[in-house]
This record gives sequence, C-alpha cells and structure tokens, in this order.
Amino acid sequence: MTVDETPILVDPEVTTPVTPHRRREWGEVVILYGLSIGLALGISAALVAFTGGSWREVFSAIVEGSLTRPGRWGKTLAQSAPLLLVAVGTIVTTRSGLVNIGQEGQLLMGATAAAFVATRLGGPGPVLLVGALVAGAAAGGLWAALAALMRYWRKVPEVISTLLMVFIAFSLTGYLLSSKSLLLDRDPARANRSVTSGQVPSDVRLPTIRLFGNEFHSGVLIALATALLLAYLLGRTVWGFRVRMLGHNPRAAQRAGVDEARSGTLAMATSGALSGLAGAVMLTGGVANYRLTPGFSNNVGWEGLLVALLARASALLAIPMALLFGGLRTGSGFLASTGVERKIVDVVQALLVLALLVPPAVLYVRQRRRALAATRDRT
Amino acid sequence: MGDFLGAVGDVLTSSTFYASAARLSALLMFAAVGELVAERAGTLNISVEGMFLSGAFASALGYHLTGSVVLGLVVGIAGGLLIAALQANLSHRLPADQFVVGLTLNVLVVGLAAFLDSNIKPVVEAASVLEIPLLSDIPLIGPALFGQTWPVYLIYPLVPAIGWLLYRTRWGLEVRAVGENPQSADVSGIHVNKRRRQSIYVSGLAAGLAGGVFVLGLIGSFDVGMVGGRGFVAIAAVIFGGWTVKGTVAGSLLFGVADSFRFTLPSLGYQVNPNLLAAMPYILTLAVMMFFAYRSRQPRALAQPFIRGLR
Amino acid sequence: MEVRELTKRYGAVVACDRVDFRLMPGRIQGVLGENGAGKSTLMKILIGLVLPDEGSIYVNGERTVIADPLHAAHLGIGMVHQHFSLVDALTVWENVALGEPGSLDPGHTRSRVSDISERYGLDIGPEAVVGDLTPGMRQRVEIIKCLARDPQILIFDEPTSVLTPAESEQLFDVLRTVVREENRAVALVSHKLDEIMRATDEVTIMRAGRVVDSMVTADAEPASLARAMVGRNVSLRREAAAIGAFSDVPTPLDQPMIPAREGEPALAVSGAVAGHDGALVLDHLDLRVWPGEVVGVAGVEGNGQKPLADLLSSLLTLDEGAVVVSGREIPSGRAGAMSRAGVGVIPEDRHDSGCVLEMSVAENLVLADPDSVSRHGVLDRRALALRARELIEEFEIRTPGPDTPLWQLSGGNQQRVVLARELSHRPAVLVASQPTRGLDVGAIEYMNTRIKEAAESGVAVLLISSELEEIAALSSRIVVMYEGRIVGEMDRADLDLERLGMLMGGAGVGVGQS
Repeated sequence: MTVDETPILVDPEVTTPVTPHRRREWGEVVILYGLSIGLALGISAALVAFTGGSWREVFSAIVEGSLTRPGRWGKTLAQSAPLLLVAVGTIVTTRSGLVNIGQEGQLLMGATAAAFVATRLGGPGPVLLVGALVAGAAAGGLWAALAALMRYWRKVPEVISTLLMVFIAFSLTGYLLSSKSLLLDRDPARANRSVTSGQVPSDVRLPTIRLFGNEFHSGVLIALATALLLAYLLGRTVWGFRVRMLGHNPRAAQRAGVDEARSGTLAMATSGALSGLAGAVMLTGGVANYRLTPGFSNNVGWEGLLVALLARASALLAIPMALLFGGLRTGSGFLASTGVERKIVDVVQALLVLALLVPPAVLYVRQRRRALAATRDRT
Repeated sequence: MGDFLGAVGDVLTSSTFYASAARLSALLMFAAVGELVAERAGTLNISVEGMFLSGAFASALGYHLTGSVVLGLVVGIAGGLLIAALQANLSHRLPADQFVVGLTLNVLVVGLAAFLDSNIKPVVEAASVLEIPLLSDIPLIGPALFGQTWPVYLIYPLVPAIGWLLYRTRWGLEVRAVGENPQSADVSGIHVNKRRRQSIYVSGLAAGLAGGVFVLGLIGSFDVGMVGGRGFVAIAAVIFGGWTVKGTVAGSLLFGVADSFRFTLPSLGYQVNPNLLAAMPYILTLAVMMFFAYRSRQPRALAQPFIRGLR
Repeated sequence: MEVRELTKRYGAVVACDRVDFRLMPGRIQGVLGENGAGKSTLMKILIGLVLPDEGSIYVNGERTVIADPLHAAHLGIGMVHQHFSLVDALTVWENVALGEPGSLDPGHTRSRVSDISERYGLDIGPEAVVGDLTPGMRQRVEIIKCLARDPQILIFDEPTSVLTPAESEQLFDVLRTVVREENRAVALVSHKLDEIMRATDEVTIMRAGRVVDSMVTADAEPASLARAMVGRNVSLRREAAAIGAFSDVPTPLDQPMIPAREGEPALAVSGAVAGHDGALVLDHLDLRVWPGEVVGVAGVEGNGQKPLADLLSSLLTLDEGAVVVSGREIPSGRAGAMSRAGVGVIPEDRHDSGCVLEMSVAENLVLADPDSVSRHGVLDRRALALRARELIEEFEIRTPGPDTPLWQLSGGNQQRVVLARELSHRPAVLVASQPTRGLDVGAIEYMNTRIKEAAESGVAVLLISSELEEIAALSSRIVVMYEGRIVGEMDRADLDLERLGMLMGGAGVGVGQS
C-alpha cells in the first residue's frame, strides 16, 4: 500500500458536504439505469424486428403468458422457485469471495439424486419426499464441495472447475439414464426411444397449492422461506459477518479466526446444496412430468446465476429478480403465436444483466474518484 | 484391462486418429494461445467460450452470405472481437467484475446464436483439404500435420506470432508487466487497463478464428452446442502450460488428443457408453489441473482488477 | 528546473501551498519535512503523476506543463521511487526497458545496464530476475532504470528506508558521482535530518504544505532545521527521536523502564523455521518478550520482519519450531489462534490483514471478536454501536459515524481503528509492525504514546521497525534481524549504533551470539 503523504490533520472526506449534490446524484442514477435498460430492450426489439416480428406483440405475449391469462401467475411462481433457490445459494458464495458458476450441473446432480430416492427407494410417501429433497441438496452440495476442495487443496481455480463439472454432471446423468439397472424407466410401456427416469409416485410429489384459480407446487414456499432465512443469516448473524469478512479480505479473516478453506468449502457446499435442492424441487414439483430427463436442468442453473448477479449479493433483492426471470420463462411459452423464436428471451435476460452491470460500475468509479481526489494521490 | 490396452493400441495405430487429434488440438490451440495473452495481462478471460461460439456462428453467417471461406473467417474474427470489445470495456474500462461479465457474455452468445441460427439457418460447407505434397505422405503423422483443410494451417503462423508478440515486442513486455504488477507498471508510465483491453482483443481475435476454423475447416456446419466447453478447456490448457507459449501448445495437444479419443474409439468398433466418453476430456482436464495448477506460478495479478489509487 | 507558486489542493486540504523550489545542475538539493508535509506531493507534481492546481513549472528556463511520467522522462526528469516500481517476475534489463518509448532492443538494453552498473559500481547483472534480489539491490536496479534514461534531474524519494547504513553511504557516493562528475541535478527527499545533513548541498524545509525555509546545508544547524521542520522548539526528546533529529547516540528518553525479566515470557518463539518459494524466510528464529517490556526488532526491510509479523497473525505456518504465548503453545497458521491467545497485531500494511475496507468502522472494531457483541450467534446491533462509540471516543477516531465504511477514513484514522481494536482485546502481547509509517507527526506521537502506555500496563510489546530512531525511542531492549534470524541483542542502555548498523548489514553473523 502506498503511504499517504497528504496531510491528514483535517479529514476532508468527513466533512464533504453532500446535501446540495444529493438531488443531482439521484438524477444521475435514474438516468444511468434508464439509459442502459433502454439500450438492452432496444437491442432486443431490434432483433425481433430483424426477424420480422413485432416487439409489441412479443411484449404483450410475455405479459399474458406470465401474468394476465388465467392460471399463468401460478406457473410463474412455480418457475421462479428454483431460480430463487439457485440465486440465494450463489449469493452465499459471492459474499465469500468465491465464484461458483456451475449451478447448472449442481442442480442436475440434485435432481438426479432426488430421482433415485423418489423412484428407486420404497417407503411412506412423505418420508420419501423429504428424503428426495435432502438427497438433492446433499448431492448438489457435494458436487460443489468437490470444486472447493480442488481449489483449496490443489489451487485449481473454482471458476474453471465448477464449469467443467457442469459437463461432467450432464454426462453422469446421461449415463445413469442409459441403463434400467440404474435410473432408466423400467416400465415396459416406456416408448422405445424415450430416455427418462420412472415417474415420481404421486405421494412423493410436493403438495400443490391452489389460490384464486392458480396452482403452484409448495416448493415456492420452500424457496421463499430459504431466501428470507439466508437474508437474515447473512445480514444479522456472526456467521454472515464472517462470510463477508472472508469475501472482502481473506487475510484479515484468517487472522480474525475465519479459516478460508473451511468457510469457503462450507459456502460452496451451501450454494451447491441450494442448487441441488432446486433440482429436487423441480422434479417433485412436476417439471418434465415428474421425470428426470437428460436435459432436465433446462438452463435453470444458468438463469438462477443471472438472478444472483442482478440481485447484487442481496438475498431479498433476489426475490423480485427471480420473479422477473420466472415470468420471462413462462411468458416465453406464449411467443409461438407471434412467430418469434422463444430463444429471444434468453437474449433479453443476458442483455438485461449486462445493462444492470453498467450503472453501479459507473457510480462506483465516480464515488471512488471523488473520495480519492479528496484524500489521496494517484499512486 | 487387456481390452482397454488393446483399444488404445488400435487407436494409436489408426491414422484417422492422428488426423482428428491434430485438428482438434489445433482448434483448442487457436483459442488457448489467445487466452494466454489475456491471462498474461491479468484477465482470466472466461468469455473465451463465448468468443469461440460467436466466431463460429459469425463465420457460418459470413460464409452463408458470401460463399467465401476467407470472408467467412474474417467475419468469424469480427464475431470474436465483438465479444472481446464488450468484455474489455465492461471489465477494464468500467470496473465490472470480469467473471460476471464473462459469464453473462457466454449466456448472451448462446442465446443470440441460437436465436439467429433458428431464424437464418446458415448453410455452410467446409473448406477444401489442402495436402502438402510429399510431407502428407509420411505415415500416421503426415496426414495429421499436412493433410488438413487449409484454415487449420493458420495455426502454424499464429503460435510463433503470439510468442513473438509476448516476448520480443515492447507491447508484450508491457503486457507481462501489467499482469504481474500493475502498480509498478503504472508508475513506469504504462496504461495498465489499455494493455489489458488490447490483450483481450487479441484473445477475441484468436478465439473468433478458432470458431471460424471449427465451422469452415473442421465440420462444415454450425450447431449451438458445438463449442461445448472447449473455451474452458482452452483456459485449462493455459493453466496446464504454466502460462508459457510452449506449455499452452502442449496442453492443447493433450486435450485435443483426449477429445479425439472419444470420437475414434466408437469408429473403430469399440462399444463404450457415449456419456462416459463425453465426460473423459473434462475429467482429464480437471485431473491435470490438480497437478499443474498447484505447481506453476500464475501471473501475480491474474483476475485482479486495477483501479489507480487502489491496491 | 524551477517551480513557482505551485499549489495543489485535495478537497479542503492544501497539500502544496504556493511552493517555490529550485533544482540546479551539479547540486544535491535536500527536501526536508515530516511525513505529510507535502514533499511527496511536490515530487509527484515534478514527475507528472499529479497535476498542480496553480503555479508554473520551468525546465531549462522554459515554462512547461508536465502531463505524465513519460512526458517527465522526455524532459529529462527521472525518479527513484520510495516504493519500488519494479516487476519481480521480469529480469533487470526488462525492467529497465519497461516504460521506455520505441521498439524493444534487448541487446542494446542489456549492454546499457552493464555499462551503468559498472560506471557507478552498482554490481547488477542485466539477466538477474528482480524478485531474487535483496531490497538494497532492487533499489540499485531502480537507480539504473532511472539513469538509463540519462535524466538531467533525478529525484530520490526516501531512498534509505530499505538500506543498511553502509548501503546508504554507498548510495550517497553514487549521488555525488552523478552530481559532481556528470553535472546533473538531484533532489533528495527525506524526513531524516542526519541524512539531509550528510548528503545534501542545499536544503529546502517544508511544513504543512509550505516551504518554510531554504538554506545552504553547510551553514545549517541541526537544531534549527528541526525547529523549522516541526514548527516549534523540539524540546521533547521523543519528538526529536521520532523525526530522527539526532546524529549521535541518543540518550534514553523518559527514564527507560527496564522491567524485570522474570517468570514466564509472554511471548516465546523458539527455533522458528519457515520457507517461501524455496528460500528460508525464518531461519531458526528465537525470541522472547516479557510482560512490560518493549522489544524493538531492528533490521533492514526484507530480512524476515514481515514473516515474523505474519507468524504472529496466524498467517504463516512454521515448518519447524514453536510459538508459546503466556505459557501455552499456539499452533502456527491456524485461523485466529494467535488472536485468541492474546496476541494483538498492528500490521505493517493495515490493508493487508488489519482491516476490511468495505466494512463499517464499527464492524472493523470487532473484527476478531464479533461474539462479544452478539447473543446466540446473532449480532446485537445496539451492543455493536455502543462498543464502537466507546472506542471511537477513547481513541479519538475521526469518522462521520460508526456505520461509515472504513475506506472513507484517512490513513491515520484507519490506523487508529486497528489500534483501538487490538488494544480493546486487552492483549498479552502487542506486535506493532512499522506502526507509524506514513503517519504525520501528531499521529506518530499518539501512536508512540499508546505503545508506551500499553507496555507500562504490562503488555509485552514487540516493535518491528526499519527506523532505528523509532526503535531507539521506544524500546527497552533491541534485537537485530538479519536473513530470518536474530543476530544480535542489546539493552537500550547499552545502545551502540555502530554495532547495530553492522549487525543489520550482517557483519556480526558467524560470531557467537548469546
């Protein structure tokens, strides 16, 4: 660190008057966000127009499909639940200073383990249901913990290992679904070419909640409770305090008694476990007609990760963001009528994330520059 | 075990294996040597995957529109550079987190390529094979090294060019300094983030070219899943190679060989579960990194942002 | 070169206030001032790292604006930095080539490095990797890098902090060659009075951003220089010591308390061995500190002081040896173990392990011990705020409030947060590593007083410093570190600067030590 040679007898930053600038700064913030979101949507609209579609139709189809048509907001809630679970898990790693980008694989491992418990083990339904959820969380957690172990034990960057393990998870699930002795459906009536697991028995499924003509699985409540619980744990407890310390300054944390390897592995496992739980919730909540398929995860892991990026390390903020992305997912099902390929939704999602990265970065630079100009030299 | 060794023996005496291993290695090498430059400047550039795919789609599009392999490759490079521009400016002009940006770009490219592909459906044909007389007649390795389509040969000038750039030019010296100690480089009058952005452009160029070679030199078609993590494997090749040009080339060869194994085995009549074969290169990559990531010395400022006045 | 009426403001603070300053060929111009007097800002303006708000700069009689370091180099101005501008992984010649314009010419650069090294007797090979060199040698590389551009004006910013006394003498010889034989102009920036007296021809004294005096060094009295620098009579020996205002053997201040060394030592390090990148950074280090004493660890930077501090911060794991705190052996490198055992540390670089900039002042005050302000694992915000207010008041931390992020505080106040936290745990041992680096004189005095008080209250204090004056001013016992070992020891009462200097340079090694 450089030596501060500026006189510090007076602390200019302490007395920096803020009130006259407040309004202008807020204006800046609004304009920045407006511009970048506008740009993202503009590009999306241009793409729609390019393929001969109408962005107005696309917009109203998405709103109808996700919200206003009968029964649709229930679907949106059901879609949002796994996104939210993945996102809050990701926030735990982000706060610990780790980069977990293998949620797609962790989710798939969770769904696979849940499928094994739900379709291959016997027992009373509720017990199996809980067992499937726990197994899903455990499998996802272990899958992520492997990456953490490789990082702390062999210095393999977790950015790469979590990603590569997504591909391995896909292969593994594919392998398990390739044989009847493993997970492939044993039902003789199974269509010859269909590669799916057996169906989750009806008493091992998540109970359905009916509300104002909408229905959704009770995984929604699990996700919501998890998000609130983690928001509390991260914000108010000593554990959350230590996680933040680790994320910002691992050496200070080590001195203060936070073991980087142990806490980091725990954070990674927590994140993986929530992704795995998301997979189990999807399976027992009715995705793919209660059957595990090779492409079961269907980008929910990636999108949950994007939700976490949008929520900027806040578990509470992840709730509306998950609803937004869940809405885009369900809404995209209504795009067929507009003649626009539903993949446009993936593009919109990514562009939105990029757009929302920009304003905080710009503001950070400005704020930091002001503070630095007040206190420090350029070296 | 005997079966396995027999299979390995059969593969090793098959000349199609060498040819496909060389192709797939070259493919990784394009992306990896570009990534090497970005990493030496301090960026762990995970959007190389997106640049790869963007280059692949752009070159398919370029060929579709012009019918020329050369122009297809040029458009492919432009596709890689487009993603590089986003990555460079978001993470090294603005201080957005490089992994967040890279990851989002990867997702964006997949969505965009899938969307445009299903709308445009570009028609592509692979470039013609260019056999170098005499040399391509050498048994086993002759066709591998000298009997490929011509875009694959671009790797021969590219690797020494990257080596020259990194070790023989002032620009390369500055890039290495910036990746090791940005504060010192800054004090020495080097524009740290500018060098980092430029090095990401080099990576985008090389990865875009990799995509172009994939589509126009290897397969002759485009599919959204075609890159399938090869960009990440290229990153692993850089780590395996201890951030040197020679090592990166060696890493690309290793992973290319592993990649071709899984294509060659079934073609020789061996029945192995395709899912397990597909996982092999990734498992190998992880296993290899467990040995080499620990030993080699990475650029000290790798993945650390530089904002003047901050550490 | 000449500057007139140069002014630079940072917010409400005026770092340089209408400064007039001149550099003449063939002369060594000293710039003397306390930390924070504006010396460094002035130099950064001259080198183009900082743009002045007002005032004019003339180089060879022509008015110029120095836009950036490259432009400064073009004008013939070079700087040897206080903190190195070298890249460890590169070789000497690559470092010298760094930042030069034009295309790369390895052969030419190598031969230039050899030439310069020979001409000034610097003994540096162009192919050596900079990371393998000692701090003293690295500084020579820095000098070569600077001289390779054949500057007319050389600026040395606090050059001796990484040098042994003997190396400092060598450096001054080089300076004299540069000035007398080659007719260049040199500015030597320092806060050490004796250094200025020894090496310079003329001296400019700065205080609080202003030039308060300028004189020919030979005509100057040390006492009057010190007075000009501090702005009042330097009656207190403590202050005099803090700024290095003595050149002979200093006398102990305030009746040095020599505590009885009996019973169990509060801290005992025995046979500590640790390696890094294949080299030993701690080499069978033995050290004992008893309650109530201040043990000063003297030595040239880079001789294992940082690993020693890291060891006591649980940041370093020993290959051999043991650390015993208050009679209990503490496993090295286990997260938080040293802190729990009662070892408080004020680290050399507080941003490295001393604090978390992104967290609030209040949170930083309970970093190691959040349990003390929580119930059943849940943070009690009121208890946290209460604790923070107490400490903010007791240690006079200037902050808008306890919830302000730490990075918004000035360096001195961040250091107070660290000090407050470490002392609030009532440590058995306090390790202070370069505790006053970069602080202004008021903050230095405060820090030194606190350290002394801690010792008087029975804390065993280990003071690691590269400033001999600081060690002499505070310690009751002094040990010397060289290449990861303790190579000598003396009581404050028997202080022998000459012997200390020799030990620091490794001259005493091999002679039997007690």
